[in-house]
Amino acid sequence: MAVLVKYFKLNFLKLLPLLFLFFISLNGNSVIDFKILSINIHYILVYFWVLRKPQALGYGFIFLSGIITDVVIGLPIGVSALALLIIASVAAYVRAVTVRISLINDWISFIPALLLANSIYFTSLYLTSYSFDYLYLLQNSIFTFIFYPVLWLFFNLLLNLMKA
Amino acid sequence: METSRDDFGIAIRSAFLRKDTKQRFSLFALIIISIFLIFFERLEVKFIKYFRSAVQDTIYRGSEIASYPFKKFGNSIDFLDDHFNLYKNYKDLREENNYLKTKISTNDFLNLENQQLRKLIDDEINSENNLISFRVMLDKQSPYLNSFIINGGSNKKIKNGMAVLFRNNFIGRIVDVNFFSSRVLLISDLNSRIPVIVEPLGHHAILSGHGTSAPSLEYLPEKHNIKSGNKVYTSGKEGIFSPGIPIGETKLNNNRVEVLIYSDLDQISFVNIDLDLEDKNN
Repeated sequence: MAVLVKYFKLNFLKLLPLLFLFFISLNGNSVIDFKILSINIHYILVYFWVLRKPQALGYGFIFLSGIITDVVIGLPIGVSALALLIIASVAAYVRAVTVRISLINDWISFIPALLLANSIYFTSLYLTSYSFDYLYLLQNSIFTFIFYPVLWLFFNLLLNLMKA
Repeated sequence: METSRDDFGIAIRSAFLRKDTKQRFSLFALIIISIFLIFFERLEVKFIKYFRSAVQDTIYRGSEIASYPFKKFGNSIDFLDDHFNLYKNYKDLREENNYLKTKISTNDFLNLENQQLRKLIDDEINSENNLISFRVMLDKQSPYLNSFIINGGSNKKIKNGMAVLFRNNFIGRIVDVNFFSSRVLLISDLNSRIPVIVEPLGHHAILSGHGTSAPSLEYLPEKHNIKSGNKVYTSGKEGIFSPGIPIGETKLNNNRVEVLIYSDLDQISFVNIDLDLEDKNN
């Protein structure tokens, strides 16, 4: 019985990042807005798990969650999916070139990922004639970057629980 | 130098093209598919439209189910909040009631005058019976889009561009129609541009959303005399909306003329659409 409970617990923990990914997509909570604070937790989630444990989040699932986000929020289908895949690409590249893992390394390498993804996001929306607040996008990038360590610690805890 | 370039190439290949042990798709292939999807969005081919509608309808239903517990939780918090503020609400309502009582007599007179004037200019007076109500299925206010989903689509003869009302006030228009659902773009959205008329001066303008609760008037005459409290109505210039649907009141903010919308866009559960208007305009 104890073995069975442990087995289910472990499998549930392994599924948590995926559940969280689809939960925020279906709920349209990719971006958390609180007064001037605006954090894209979708980007942080994808970046962390692709960097640290790519088996936990398949690229196909990331793509699908991006499509769901676009439909729920009302953006042209493919925009968020593309931005998330760019984040995943940078994370996969960083994973391929780095040996030592630390919060500072992850945090700094998150800057190009964020800038590239938001540039692609901006370009896609511009090409599809969508008006949006440029300043908001910049503000969102800054706060997402600042907030990264908080979620890093939380996800790292989850990762350690998975290993235990 | 050569070695470093090789390393870069290997890392790129590894990141984009290689499928890891548990990855079924390569990143490169998925990125190409995403780009194709964005271009497909612009195409108005019937097959793609049907496919898109089916996908969107399915996701909306899924999202509605997924967000149900949170909606209920939010409602419970609102209920508790209302309960604790009962006395204050009662006082506010009493004041509002007194104010409205004094207004009713003035409004009756204005309505009568309005109907007579419309008859004079041979305009059509629309009956309220033509309005059909739809439920708000999903209300996910994104930072980029202020919109929501209603539970009626082409199955209920909804068409793109139709005016959406909350009670009798204009709140937005239909921008995307699926089989069983449609997206309403609210007047507060950055992409919203509505031709309006400001009364009593009769100035024509465009009501532009800014992503906040206060849209503003643009393209006003240079020397306008608009004051705070002037009424804003749809002008019907675009040809789709009926003229004279109330929107809100003006409020001067520095040199900007903002519009305080009559409806609270965060508290909308049901909306009305006049389905006959489209036929009349055609």
